[in-house]
Amino acid sequence: MGPRTSSAILTEGLTKLYGRRPGIEGLDLEVLPGEIFGFIGPNGAGKTTTIRLLLDLLRPTAGRATLLDRDAHRQSVALRGSIGYLPGEFGLEPRMTGRQLLEYFGRLRGMDDLGVAPAMAGRLDIDLDLPMGRLSRGNRQKIGLIQTLFHRPRLLILDEPTTGLDPLVQDTFLQILREARDEGRTVFLSSHILSEVERVCDRVAIVRDSRLATLETTESLLEKRRKRVVMVFAAPVDAARFAQLPGVTDVQVQGTAVSLRLQDGIDAVVKLAAQFTLLDLRVDHPSLDEVFMGYYGEQK
Amino acid sequence: MTGLRTELRRMWIFTAHQLRSRWRSLTIWGVALGAMGALYVVLFPSMSTFMQEYLEQAPESLKGFLGELQGPMTIEQWLGMEYLSLLIPVVLPFAVMIMGARAIAGREERKTLDLLLSNPLPRRDVVAGTVLTMAIVLAGVLAITWMLTYIAVPLAGVDLSPARLAYSLVALWPLCLLFGVLALLLSAWVRRSAFAITIPAVILLAMYLAEVLGQAAKSMEPYRVVSLFYHVGNPVEGDFPWTAVLLMLAGVCVLTGAAVAVFQRRDVFT
Repeated sequence: MGPRTSSAILTEGLTKLYGRRPGIEGLDLEVLPGEIFGFIGPNGAGKTTTIRLLLDLLRPTAGRATLLDRDAHRQSVALRGSIGYLPGEFGLEPRMTGRQLLEYFGRLRGMDDLGVAPAMAGRLDIDLDLPMGRLSRGNRQKIGLIQTLFHRPRLLILDEPTTGLDPLVQDTFLQILREARDEGRTVFLSSHILSEVERVCDRVAIVRDSRLATLETTESLLEKRRKRVVMVFAAPVDAARFAQLPGVTDVQVQGTAVSLRLQDGIDAVVKLAAQFTLLDLRVDHPSLDEVFMGYYGEQK
Repeated sequence: MTGLRTELRRMWIFTAHQLRSRWRSLTIWGVALGAMGALYVVLFPSMSTFMQEYLEQAPESLKGFLGELQGPMTIEQWLGMEYLSLLIPVVLPFAVMIMGARAIAGREERKTLDLLLSNPLPRRDVVAGTVLTMAIVLAGVLAITWMLTYIAVPLAGVDLSPARLAYSLVALWPLCLLFGVLALLLSAWVRRSAFAITIPAVILLAMYLAEVLGQAAKSMEPYRVVSLFYHVGNPVEGDFPWTAVLLMLAGVCVLTGAAVAVFQRRDVFT
């Protein structure tokens, strides 16, 4: 696995401008070793720019990035030996087979075998001996995933990795990511499929308009956001009393049912509801999707 | 030392991979140009008689222009008229110009550059490995060309020295390589492979025209000096152009260095 590092990824004021248009601005970020880190945001928010800066494919306008305690630019070649990267969009040589591609990349990495590629190909159900020009989009994506992982990198940087995969393969892939984390590898996952981020990520950063909007554990991000509470009473109640409680918004009444959004603790709501005959109470925790949309809408 | 060895090994892996993926086109180019050379040699006996009769009847002005072609034509003159002065030096550079243009800008357009550069392969090795690939491909094509052309010599019963044919082809190797490396430099600089082919192609054709027009018209003669064709001359008939060859090789080194510098600095997009 290699030496333990203090940060898997550390960026300080990382900025990339395309002319006057910002790609990413003043990004300060720390990804810890052994975590799955979600990097989410709408299209054009700066996710891919950030990843390309980390990989030294783009040169920063300002700031710096350190990966595995090495400078992302000056030591990029040495770093790439320890990194598996899956670009958001990539092409494959149509005449080559997956096996030939992996053998070629393996040789460039100083490997004399295919590492875990055959096992991964089995799990992802892909034939490595077909010319890549004959593969479907999903199968080409699987080849991309295998080339990212087959050399067992210490740091995985994945840009929209499950695009084009069917749900079963997505599940298998997310399981592979969890296994990588359990082995102490770090995963930096950019995605707009928030459900998968929610399922595997330990921490999440949201980028918006080329800036880091928030960085929290997935749990606390979900925790902090508004839950929907639905209460069904034996008879109609005065919903205005619920609306006056702290942290309560969006109170709706439908017959004897009252639903509301709740930011803080539920104690005050339960105490007020207990003053009536309560038949049912349901608390819906928001998905990361709702959190993100809520957060994004709120910021706008 | 270990670092240098590792880097050279990686560069060779990259070069060997490119050569493997290009062996078909190398063979096609070599066989096509070699077959053309063999055809020129086989046609020489009948064409020399025809040309001599034609020249005897030609107007004085044309005889003056053709100068040294008056009298019985030699196989060297016949090959130097078109095959070694037009066909190979104008057509063959396109083989490596395409390679140069596709090496960086083309890979960006095909979206394969990201995956390649995600390996521990320095950008300078992509440039140097491509130049090495172009040099080996050109040498291979010219070797096949020499072999096939020379096979026809005993069949046609002509007197052509294998060494003379060889060094006339060797003199074209740096010329073709120079245009390939120019395309690579442009490919490292801009993200348009069509642009990286067009510019060297225009320069190549302009140089060829400058040489041809300079031979044909006195007023154009001073412009021949800007043409590499003028400096390479016609080694199948005369001396080996050492100075031109060495200068062109120096040009290859300078353009390679510039391509490395440009590619190191620029952003890679997909």
